[in-house]
Amino acid sequence: MPSTQATIGDFSILPISIPPLPSFPKSNVVHYLYVRRNTPKIPTANDSRSLFLTNCPVDSTELHLRSLFSSLVGAGRFESCTFEDEREKKVHQSGSQSNTVSLALTTTANKKRKRGPHDEDDLISEEEEESARLPQTWSRTLHKSGGTAVVLLADEKSVEQVFKAIAKLSKSKKSSSYPQWPSTLSTPLGSVWLKSHNRSSYPDPAALQASIDAFSLVYARREKAAAKRAKRLRNEPDADGFVTVTRGGRNAPASKLEAEEAKRKMLERAAKKREETSTFYQFQLREKKKEEQDELVKRFEEDRKKLEQMRMKRGKFAPEA
Amino acid sequence: MDSAPAKRRKIEHKQDGAEKVLESAVRTTGVSRGRAFILEAEELLEEVRIDYKTALEGADGYLHRIKGAVEAVESHDALPLTDAVSKLEKKHKIKVPLPNPQPPKNSNYKVEFSKPAQFNVVGSYVSKTMVKNQKDHSVDMIVVMPKEILQEKDYLDLRYFYKRAYYLTVISTTLQKELGRDGQLSYEYLNGNPLCPVLAFQPEVAKPAENGEKEATGKGRMDYRIRVIPCAPEGLFPKTKLQLGASLIRKREADSDDEPHPTAFYNSTLAAETSFLSYLKLLRQTEKKCAAFKNACLLGRTWLQQRGFGGDISKGGFGHFEWAVMLALLLDSGNKMGHASLSTSLSSTQLFKAQIQFLSVMNFSEKPCVFGPENSDLDDHIESGPIIYDSARQHNLAFKMGAWSAALLHQHAKWTRSVLSDSSVDQFTPTFILRADVPTHTFDLFAHLNYSDVLNDVIGEDFSESRGRIWQLGSKVYRVLKRALVDKELGERARLIHIQTPEQPTWTLTERPKAQKKAALEIGVLFDPNGMARVVDKGPAAGASMEEKEECERFRNFWGDKAELRRFERDTIRETLVWSSTAAFDLCEEIMRYILSLHLRIGQIEGDISFYGNGLSSLLSLKSTDTAVFNAAKKEFSTFERDIRDLEELPLRVRHIAPICPELRHASIKAPVFAPSKSGVQPMDCIISFEASGKWPESLEAIQRTKVAFLLMIGSLLEKSKAGIKTHVGLDDAKYDTENLAFLDIIYESGPSFRLRIHSDLEEVLLERQVKDRTAEQYLRQRATTQLSTFRRLFTNLPLHGQTISTSVTRFPALSPTIRLVKHWFNSHKLACHFTEEFIELVVLHVFLSPYPWDAPSSASTGFMRTLLFLARWDWREEPLIVDVGGEMTPKDRAAIATRLEAWRKIDPSMSHTVLLVATSQEPSGVAWTSADNQAKPSKVVAARMTSLAKSASRLIREEGLVLDPRRLFVPSLKDYDVLIHLNSKALKAATKTYEHVDPAEEQETVTKSKFKNLDVRTGQDPLPLVQHPADIILGQLNAAYAGPLVFFRGDQKDNTIGAIWNPQMQRRTFKVNLPASYKPVAAAGQKKDDDEMDTDGSEDLVDVNKDAILAEIARIGGDLIEKIETK
Repeated sequence: MPSTQATIGDFSILPISIPPLPSFPKSNVVHYLYVRRNTPKIPTANDSRSLFLTNCPVDSTELHLRSLFSSLVGAGRFESCTFEDEREKKVHQSGSQSNTVSLALTTTANKKRKRGPHDEDDLISEEEEESARLPQTWSRTLHKSGGTAVVLLADEKSVEQVFKAIAKLSKSKKSSSYPQWPSTLSTPLGSVWLKSHNRSSYPDPAALQASIDAFSLVYARREKAAAKRAKRLRNEPDADGFVTVTRGGRNAPASKLEAEEAKRKMLERAAKKREETSTFYQFQLREKKKEEQDELVKRFEEDRKKLEQMRMKRGKFAPEA
Repeated sequence: MDSAPAKRRKIEHKQDGAEKVLESAVRTTGVSRGRAFILEAEELLEEVRIDYKTALEGADGYLHRIKGAVEAVESHDALPLTDAVSKLEKKHKIKVPLPNPQPPKNSNYKVEFSKPAQFNVVGSYVSKTMVKNQKDHSVDMIVVMPKEILQEKDYLDLRYFYKRAYYLTVISTTLQKELGRDGQLSYEYLNGNPLCPVLAFQPEVAKPAENGEKEATGKGRMDYRIRVIPCAPEGLFPKTKLQLGASLIRKREADSDDEPHPTAFYNSTLAAETSFLSYLKLLRQTEKKCAAFKNACLLGRTWLQQRGFGGDISKGGFGHFEWAVMLALLLDSGNKMGHASLSTSLSSTQLFKAQIQFLSVMNFSEKPCVFGPENSDLDDHIESGPIIYDSARQHNLAFKMGAWSAALLHQHAKWTRSVLSDSSVDQFTPTFILRADVPTHTFDLFAHLNYSDVLNDVIGEDFSESRGRIWQLGSKVYRVLKRALVDKELGERARLIHIQTPEQPTWTLTERPKAQKKAALEIGVLFDPNGMARVVDKGPAAGASMEEKEECERFRNFWGDKAELRRFERDTIRETLVWSSTAAFDLCEEIMRYILSLHLRIGQIEGDISFYGNGLSSLLSLKSTDTAVFNAAKKEFSTFERDIRDLEELPLRVRHIAPICPELRHASIKAPVFAPSKSGVQPMDCIISFEASGKWPESLEAIQRTKVAFLLMIGSLLEKSKAGIKTHVGLDDAKYDTENLAFLDIIYESGPSFRLRIHSDLEEVLLERQVKDRTAEQYLRQRATTQLSTFRRLFTNLPLHGQTISTSVTRFPALSPTIRLVKHWFNSHKLACHFTEEFIELVVLHVFLSPYPWDAPSSASTGFMRTLLFLARWDWREEPLIVDVGGEMTPKDRAAIATRLEAWRKIDPSMSHTVLLVATSQEPSGVAWTSADNQAKPSKVVAARMTSLAKSASRLIREEGLVLDPRRLFVPSLKDYDVLIHLNSKALKAATKTYEHVDPAEEQETVTKSKFKNLDVRTGQDPLPLVQHPADIILGQLNAAYAGPLVFFRGDQKDNTIGAIWNPQMQRRTFKVNLPASYKPVAAAGQKKDDDEMDTDGSEDLVDVNKDAILAEIARIGGDLIEKIETK
């Protein structure tokens, strides 16, 4: 029987010993990383040589994992890694960007988002995208406790080797043989980390201005492309033979803002009119009175019910001693 | 119950004013209004009523035995008083409780004993109007002394009372034999009146061992006493002799030529001695006539009791008896006009309300309240005490009251009336449930007057006041203080002064009457918040006319050397008082010390008088000058606003700039002080909005970038336009590009700094559209909803909230210090990080707006105590907090808010999104200040902790009373936390300094390298402002990383200890991919010990929270900032 558990579910358990720190001098602290082959719902080409990790330490970085894996299976096997929150961010960013385009394009609120073949104008290079981004304020980010990551290794063989190494670890009885969590890698946390965050939160105005300018260029291009596409769509029937109705006809349409304002005004006017004519006839007055009375009775019943509830809770009616 | 609309007869009562309010009181209590109040009052009656059979078991039996025993006493003939007393004392080893002054040795008064003329049980036992939680339950039996042994002239010189004391002692000797084994016999004063000792018998509770079967019945039994009260037969003394002005204790005056002092209290006591039976008759008749009378008396009794009133002289001398008789007189048709003031067909709540109205318009201490024909003679006696005159029985009902207790009763009635007329609040709880007699909740200042030394100096050997010398001292003190603080003469500084005289003790039969235990008078002062802070008092003008001269003379006589002549603008010369203190409390103390020492020579010995109630303010070193400091900050803000508005090159016109930080609404714990600082500054938040413009792009991302460009532009324009301004554009820690991305920090060289964010209308419109857009994906809509609420909080609600608090602060002078104290309390208990400051401000504001059963607090300490009381009592699971600042909310609005809470509780029963609901008229959704990012802030656990902390604090306040050291309320209990993270204050401080051109990673090296200060790169550089305080950032990061397993607690930025509790819901669980925290396999944890557990199949998959690994991670994150992590 092995002294430590080797697997849990379909995960292998990789124990990591954590070196003590002066502020928390406890030794023998072991962190457990759970590792298995990566099998995402939507398979990709790299799945066979990647690992899925869960319960990553909150302060893990690529450097940490690289050193960890090289201590397991030797250097050169580790290619890259992606953390859970980074993956999410990517998805969201692309989501929000497509949203921008679609916003400019489909303000007429048609249900299906339709895209014509991409023009050359429409393509915005990665570089431009990058320069339009605001400067980073964190030298290093923390992850959620218990978070996951995907590690890409050099080849399938490395994956096998990793599992073998983990299995070997679990057989050894001493925790001293566990791989150590590297403590001096990467940019430091603590006060230096916070200070550099504060410093980079105040970027150089010129750099900031440049990024804004880059953004407006990209934005203008995208707007233009969207307008162009809209124009084309106005004239071209789609596969089903329908022509999409879009904004920008002969007469410029009212802006959405104005339309909303107009609607609000109309509703207000209608409400006012209703108000004015609601007490015109005798029967209306009578009905109103009756309504009020009913309301009164209803409220009385409500009070009674509330009281009943209060009675359930003891001591509500006893004067405080 | 009888809630039918009242059938009213027209009334004509001569008391002007009173009748009108009575009528309106009755009218407002129709069926529709206050229904809840009526129903709740009914419940209350059910709750307080006593089951007389079980509660007062055996009382009747004892009464019969007493009657039998007393009737069997042998009569004896007249003996000289002194002989009889000494004989009795020797024979029975008992003392005769003769009242002071003792009879002269050579007196030839004769005393005798014969069978009582009548026995009768009186009081609330017969009328069955006792309530469960009254302090003691007593069954009163009067023993009417026979006419034969008394003489008409006995009203003079306490003769009657000597005889009464002797008579009582004879009865005592008998009863001691008869009942001595069944319980405790002792003497006490009837209602604390030293003229009237009575015999009290407390039956011993039968031990359950003796009669085991009766155990069940003995359960509801209360500790009761039977009091035997000797009294005089009706009509013994001619009532005309007992007028209030008559002087009936004459012997002391025999040798002096002075006008004899009227002995109003003595006379009224005599009148009361003869009128037991007639009042009993009156009450019985009223009971028969008016069905709701008894219930109204029960309500009244509860009301009085919750306010600390009772028939005892030390309790104000207005108890259940006085309430009942007054109500009976109001219902009585025997008035001059033959009409009653109140109809007998009213319901009990209507009667109660009417009586409250009556008390709130009648101030007995200023004008006599007369039932029956007008009696102008009475006006002359109002100086001697409050008067409620029952003409039919020629008796002053209020004879036991002091002027102060009448004033307090009047005030309480006024306060209760204002609750009862405010239909939007819960009327019932403040009226009957809350205890309103806790002095620290009511008064702003207390003084303890140690009278043991003073008494002889001030009063001397004068025993003419029958209530005792202490009472006399109290009334003197009251008169002086009232003139100095309350009277109109100097523009009211205080609204109320209360004197608490010590209670009269009981004593055993073999002792002489004991002195009062507590050797101090308690004086409570209720401030007028506007008047009390006045430093200079302007007295009468020093004119030439006779009248003016007289007035000045009077002023100087009262104020002594302190009065001086001063010239004011417009050439008036006035008598003036200039005080040296500045804060309200200190001023009051100074004036009290001065005036008491001037007139009564009190306070000359150290420790004569000590003051309480200021401990809280000194705790936070709240100063009266703080208001000025806050105003200075506001002024700096307006300078800043003008600087921005003066920028001509801005492409859009500025609509307004609004401050949104607590410093600019008088609500920050520390008053803002501006000085150039070496560490990073924390600028004050403001928002700017521009005139509507069509130039904003129709995309959120583009708007945000445009705002950044705008900020850059404003910054450079400002730096150009004015010297001494530095600006920095900083980046918000935004998650998405559609959120607000940046802000502009503007730092004036003179110290103040501001943080500006731009408000764009279009942003809101676009967000709203996204929220409503059905075609968009769910997560996008969800995100837009969160962003929209953040947007509204920042740009709509915060500016409005700032305005609300700013205006309220000027309306209530005590609001600002109270808010600061309460924030400090939240800080000390490490709750502050879970609550928004705005929430705390609104809670305090609510206590001021809806202060029932009191008035709005007039000092920080009462405000603070009452806020704690509110937090302790607030049932946030069921009740929303509705803060109605302008009073413009309709009942419908309120109902809508209540419905919203109900709806929340239905869809979110576990309270993960909404816990506290705090709605205002501007923000009826009620969650702007109690949620963040779609999460409840505070969570249910934290809110519950707040309530329990407030509860224990309130209990402490009530139990400890005045001697409470306020510091105890602010001591956090660190042992409640599983983990304590101690931050390194030095490293934190160092972390607040960052420089534009110094890379923090290399900073350490460069510093150690350069020996010379001028070589240090940091020299001459101003540090950058702080985006956020490092302590806040680290807490924020920890919260984000460990939202699952740990809950962190911390006060403000200066709190260097973070407490944390392991989430009890994160226990051992089966393994799955997305764990909410760092977990370790159970099997690995219990390696060798739990072999059997490993055998079971299930344990293989079980995992436990890896606490050590998490703490080690925290240690790594904090690095040098964390000094030590302590675990339990």
